[in-house]
Amino acid sequence: MKILKIALFSCFLILASCKEKTQQPLPTTTAKPTKANLSYAKGFSIEKQANGITILKITSPWPKAESAFTYALIPKDKAATITLNKDDYDAIVTVPVQKLVVTSTTHIPALESLGVLDKLVGFPNTDYISSTAARTLIKEGEIEELGVNQSLNTEMVIALNPDVVVGFGIDNNNKTYSTLQRSNIPVVFNGDWTEETPLGKAEWIKFFAPFFNAEAKADSIFKTIETNYNDAKALAKKATNRPSVLTGGLYKDLWHVAGGKSWMAQFLKDANANYLWSDLQETGGVGLSIESVFDKAGKADFWISPSSNSSYKQVAESSAHYTQFDAYKNKKIYTITLVKGETGGVLFFELAPNRPDLVLKDLISIFHPDVLPEYKTTFFKPLQ
Amino acid sequence: MLHQKKYTLAFILLLVLLVICFCISISFGSVTIPFTDTISAIFGGDLQKESWGYIIRNYRIPKAITAILTGSGLALSGLLMQTLFRNPLAGPFVLGISSGASLGAAILIMGASLFSGVFTFGVVNNVTLAIASSTGSFLVLLAVMIVAAKVKDTMALLIIGLMFGSITAAIVSVLSYFTDAEQLQQYIYWSFGSLGNLSWSQLGLLGAIVGTGIIISIFTIKSLNAFLLGENYARSLGVHIKKQRFLIIVATGLLAGGITAFAGPIAFIGLAVPHLTRQVFNTTNHKTLIPAVLLYGAILMLLCDTIAQLPSSAYVLPINAITSIVGAPVVIWLLIRKKKMVF
Repeated sequence: MKILKIALFSCFLILASCKEKTQQPLPTTTAKPTKANLSYAKGFSIEKQANGITILKITSPWPKAESAFTYALIPKDKAATITLNKDDYDAIVTVPVQKLVVTSTTHIPALESLGVLDKLVGFPNTDYISSTAARTLIKEGEIEELGVNQSLNTEMVIALNPDVVVGFGIDNNNKTYSTLQRSNIPVVFNGDWTEETPLGKAEWIKFFAPFFNAEAKADSIFKTIETNYNDAKALAKKATNRPSVLTGGLYKDLWHVAGGKSWMAQFLKDANANYLWSDLQETGGVGLSIESVFDKAGKADFWISPSSNSSYKQVAESSAHYTQFDAYKNKKIYTITLVKGETGGVLFFELAPNRPDLVLKDLISIFHPDVLPEYKTTFFKPLQ
Repeated sequence: MLHQKKYTLAFILLLVLLVICFCISISFGSVTIPFTDTISAIFGGDLQKESWGYIIRNYRIPKAITAILTGSGLALSGLLMQTLFRNPLAGPFVLGISSGASLGAAILIMGASLFSGVFTFGVVNNVTLAIASSTGSFLVLLAVMIVAAKVKDTMALLIIGLMFGSITAAIVSVLSYFTDAEQLQQYIYWSFGSLGNLSWSQLGLLGAIVGTGIIISIFTIKSLNAFLLGENYARSLGVHIKKQRFLIIVATGLLAGGITAFAGPIAFIGLAVPHLTRQVFNTTNHKTLIPAVLLYGAILMLLCDTIAQLPSSAYVLPINAITSIVGAPVVIWLLIRKKKMVF
């Protein structure tokens, strides 16, 4: 018995001392690596090396991130000939990816437009997904439900064994992701939500491209969105008036308006509207007292996204103060909550970051109906 | 006799202070409004800006009145509980009233995510929130009442109240875990407490609830004084223990439950104000203590509200944080200075 134990133990020692991968020098090439051209997105960079490896660097996985994440994407056909030092990268992924898990609805439209939605095998909180194509796949059982509340069910993910999990974190403390990495499932952070400009968010479609060798397709899709956006912006400039705009709504005593440097504020600026809090330096929401909001915006022409209210009756019920605003009296309130997917996910949250051109056109058609007549809005609808 | 004179003067001072604090509370806010305009807004005069009149008449004055009602109501219910349990650590929420209210609010705001994905339990607004949280606190209180009828010992009742609190808190945690960010934010904001946003009709209802609570308390003054000396002693004085205990619990339930329904769970005031009051009114006679805590609570709440509004800035602080940040150091300082607690 004792001999057996010793034998087992020495076997273990021998195994443990084996290196996971033996180091081999990389094939030397004279060709220079090429950097992907990113005009707006600030949170990541892509570099294609001559040996076929793509280096994906995420510099902004979450706000104020201290260090960047570096991922290596190795083409399958060259995987046998390439050896990388595991410690140099946060994850190594073989591409093209056949099975992946994503964690935010904002990732869905990118997969869909790249034509690789069929590679998606799991998602947490599938009810939030609005895309009809994705909903069909969920119904057919192709996309599995992986738990609720932004927390992935670790066991289910390990059972699915995807080639990569595209995660997002608000900081570096996500136990689930660490567990997955330990079980050799690469986790790649996507920081699309930290991007502060409309086109910057949309450019994250290029983040997904190298996983599917779809760089050219992603470039052309983004080019179209960019052109549409800039054309719409130029169109809005033609309008002669600049209506004043109020955003957000009350949580008890605090009115949350969009910060002056926020994504929404930039849309309003590009739609040639006068956003009343454009001087605020914040990039997120700002809680202000109802007094100051009423004082400043009681006479505002338009009111966008009044918290989760979807009808004038609801607005009046949630606070009597709302009814004192001109935008309420003149029925000039528009909301994103009326356009929902089959299971209640608000379409705006999923698709708007990917399609800023549609958001901008919506706003222009609301503020300047003469510039975009007969336009049918995608996200923003008048309150009922 | 000398004491009586001193107390009369103290009461007059407190009343004056209350009026001053009320004026300060309605004159200061995020929007800077000149004092002359504040006065003319109250008496329906002309103002430089139309919106100012609305802010003062329909936001600041109701808010100040809410502060007075919540401050005095919570302080009184705290005093009742401290006396009933003969425990200086007791407050208005020891019987699980606030956790019951939290559960009601949590089910309304976040219940939909647990019970289904799509439809909600109805619109979340001031009225539905008030109904949900008062139902919650009423049900917990009812459970406590049933137990109180069975349990002879007041201390056992205290433990049972705490247990109810633990159970409801656990259910709220489960609800929070399964809900989405928007609803969680709504619930968190409810738990921060809020004095603004009450309409005049809601204010009337709150006033009626607090008024009823005060009237019941006045009827129990004699037994409250006896309770302080112990239940056995109270019995020997001819106090009908069970009935009086029942009345005191009803008064507390009305005060703390009603206030929590309209203003959210506001911490600290109920626990601290009776202690602050006893520092000045060194007496165990509730005939003096009850009006004193009412005044103290109202003044403290008005002051906290003025601070929370951060005059002349667009930002606001949650009232619940301010009551503790401002109140706790004062209590600590008083206790250290006096070297002992007056109880």
